[in-house]
Amino acid sequence: MKRPRLSLREQPLPGGQPLAFGTGLAIALFVGTLLLLGAGHDPLRIYSRMFDASLGDPDAWAITLNRAVPLGLAGLAVAIAGSMGLWNIGAEGQIMAGAIGAAWVARIGGDWPGLVLITMMLVAAIGGGGILALGPAVARAKLGVNEIITTLMLNEVAIRLVQWLIHGPWKDPDSFNFPLAPMLPDQARLPTLFSRAHFGLLIAAAVIIIASVAVRYTAWGYELRIAGSSESTARYSGISLPKKVLTVLVLSGAVAGLAGGVELAGTADRLTETISNGFGFAGIIVAALALMRPSGVAAVALLFGAVQIGGQSIQTLGVSSSVSTILQAFVLFGAIGAGVFSRYRVTLDSGPASTPEEAKS
Amino acid sequence: MTQPSSPADSGQLSVELTDIWKTFPGVVANAGVGLAVRRRSIHALLGENGAGKSTLMNILAGVYHPDSGEVKIHGLSHQFRNPADALSAGVGMVHQEFRLIPSFSVAENIVLGSAPSIINNRQVENDVADMARKYGLKVDPAQPLWQLSMGERQKVEILKVLWRDAQVLILDEPTTVLTPSEVDELGEILRRMADDGRSIIFISHKLHEVSGICDEATVLRQGETVAGSLDMATTAQDELARLMVGAAPAIAARPAAATPGKPLLELQNLSAIGDRGVNAFSDVSFRIHAGEIVGIAGVAGNGQRELADVIAGLRLSNNGTLIMDGTDITAVSAHRRFQSGLAYIPEDRLGVGLAPRLSITDNAILRVYRQQRRGPFIVAEKALSYCADLVKRFGVRSGDPDGPIAALSGGNLQRLLVGRELDGKPSVVVASQPTRGLDVQGVKAIQDLLLDQRNSGAAVMMISEDLDELLTLTDRLLVMEGGVIRGEFDPRTVSRHEVGMAMLSDTQPSSQS
Repeated sequence: MKRPRLSLREQPLPGGQPLAFGTGLAIALFVGTLLLLGAGHDPLRIYSRMFDASLGDPDAWAITLNRAVPLGLAGLAVAIAGSMGLWNIGAEGQIMAGAIGAAWVARIGGDWPGLVLITMMLVAAIGGGGILALGPAVARAKLGVNEIITTLMLNEVAIRLVQWLIHGPWKDPDSFNFPLAPMLPDQARLPTLFSRAHFGLLIAAAVIIIASVAVRYTAWGYELRIAGSSESTARYSGISLPKKVLTVLVLSGAVAGLAGGVELAGTADRLTETISNGFGFAGIIVAALALMRPSGVAAVALLFGAVQIGGQSIQTLGVSSSVSTILQAFVLFGAIGAGVFSRYRVTLDSGPASTPEEAKS
Repeated sequence: MTQPSSPADSGQLSVELTDIWKTFPGVVANAGVGLAVRRRSIHALLGENGAGKSTLMNILAGVYHPDSGEVKIHGLSHQFRNPADALSAGVGMVHQEFRLIPSFSVAENIVLGSAPSIINNRQVENDVADMARKYGLKVDPAQPLWQLSMGERQKVEILKVLWRDAQVLILDEPTTVLTPSEVDELGEILRRMADDGRSIIFISHKLHEVSGICDEATVLRQGETVAGSLDMATTAQDELARLMVGAAPAIAARPAAATPGKPLLELQNLSAIGDRGVNAFSDVSFRIHAGEIVGIAGVAGNGQRELADVIAGLRLSNNGTLIMDGTDITAVSAHRRFQSGLAYIPEDRLGVGLAPRLSITDNAILRVYRQQRRGPFIVAEKALSYCADLVKRFGVRSGDPDGPIAALSGGNLQRLLVGRELDGKPSVVVASQPTRGLDVQGVKAIQDLLLDQRNSGAAVMMISEDLDELLTLTDRLLVMEGGVIRGEFDPRTVSRHEVGMAMLSDTQPSSQS
């Protein structure tokens, strides 16, 4: 009897990851077709709406790009830590911390000129995210405390902090008792590039490019990759691991914080409970699909953004939002599943001839 | 070589392995090995590290597939696809590293993987207790595993195999985790199991224990059976030692002895704690002079790896002083030691010496990237040309310099690693198992590089399990056993047998390994 076996390829298939992504998309579309048919919808109509709403025209592109900005920055945050084998699960909270920092600057600097105000808001956002990551970073670097747990738990702290602020001290007096922070002053909004696409796109692109270059071509990034490949090798070559862990986790938090600041000043316009909107968790997926390479997050974030925007758009056609969530999940499943085949090959193993003894058992 | 012949008085054979061949990339682990084990007997499988014992037993237990050869259990031929196949044919193995779950109870660990879908804890615990009592294994089935000593955990592993009704039990170096009194107890337990109709294969290199416990012995050396089914009652211990380490050595053309210069590395009463929390080695003192290769012989796990790590600065010593070229470096970091001329070729090439997920170039520049910076950047051309130079000079057969290092063969990995370490013109070279697992050309290339270092005036320390290599290559030979230097020999005059006995000496049986 032939049985399939997986064996490790000596080298991953070239272009395996884009191929995997395409395969994942195809699988998702196929399963989605069945799902939509089962729910009594016309798959073609749904799919064309999804495409039109996300990538059909410049306005659609603008919305998708605005979504890709926080996804890409959050993905980058996770990927920077991931390059060193660290897991920052706290991007969600760090986004909120960044948004709090930016909102605070907007409150105290309401009469500053726009350029100064926005710059200071983004600096505060970076600081907010970095500060939230500082605790887990120190604990991991000095005491070896698992950063997955600490960063995850701080998400909860950050959301409570936002809730307290918008129910309490920062509540908009004109909000008719709704828990909302006041709108940002006009000069605190990021300028738009085209349609509704805001300036955050350029910020995110610049940060992703800088981080990719830094990880790939600088001595700092080299040490990061050595440590991510093997801690023992890093120690062997004289790289200070605690220092590296500390800076990388704080930097990861800072990038996530920047995502919060950009989202606040670019899209949200006020601090709300849903400011982070799951971007921090989606960022983990983005980073994983980019194989923890900063250079890969932009493309993944764009595709992920398109799927999200497309999925939301079909709710007006009476399709439940769960369907779009299920589609996203299938893209992920398919891409990760297909990714396995870029690293492993399948062989049909003609198993050893079974003896009578084995045939019985 | 010699095929084991079944003893004339033998009862039924429970295990017959015939002409087993197994090759790993670059290494022939088993070259036509044979083994015959009688029912109701305890059979010792003896041999030095790398003799092919574990490979052979992993084949018998279904972990590896042999390239060729026949496996017969109770007279029936088998081809195991996995350990579960082997278990269903009645072969179970207790590995050196225990595979137990600390938070589970003893009973839960034992039934894990073979439990019915609904577990009646009380029932299982009673059954386990009955079985334990039958063979004299003193464990409490309800106790959580993490509370158990290493010796007790081993009993759990044995019960796990018995629970699956194994008729043939393989124990891989079972005494390394035991205290002397526990070893005696284990002997009694094994005897009861043999009397109950089972067969036990006992892998070991500690001769005195084997002679107290086992009925017969098969000796492997360099992947071949050198003696099959010797009767332990009539075979002398030093005869076994001679079989294990080989006959009178044919000493190859020894490189001309260099005249040693001043001491470059000096250890004074050095001690360090191992990963198990007990001393890995203690009170080690010796000197290595310029232009001298000193070999450290010994069976793996007797403190050599930790000793090398301490000298390289990757592990802290808890006592003693380390002096390099007149300077006390006991408290100096690994990187500083490298900078002042100490090269280290670690035993774990891909996990310590190289970064497995990075490219060949990235690995080549590990020691020099700090000098290849321009601003924050590493200059790519410098890195590439350095890598190309290293590859060329040390004969590394590699493809794409941007390809992953892990794609290189063992010999080429080691050429790159050794070349990189020696490129900085070190004054002291510490090499831990530098030729292990390499093919003939690889071994030769690495040995030549180390000899070149000696001839150009470096102090070289070489840890190896290959006694032949040490005897032909080194100027002085130290034997390490139980974390202590057991003796110093002149490899030009000492007999293989003498060194072998020192390596296997059990003057102070140690509970750690």
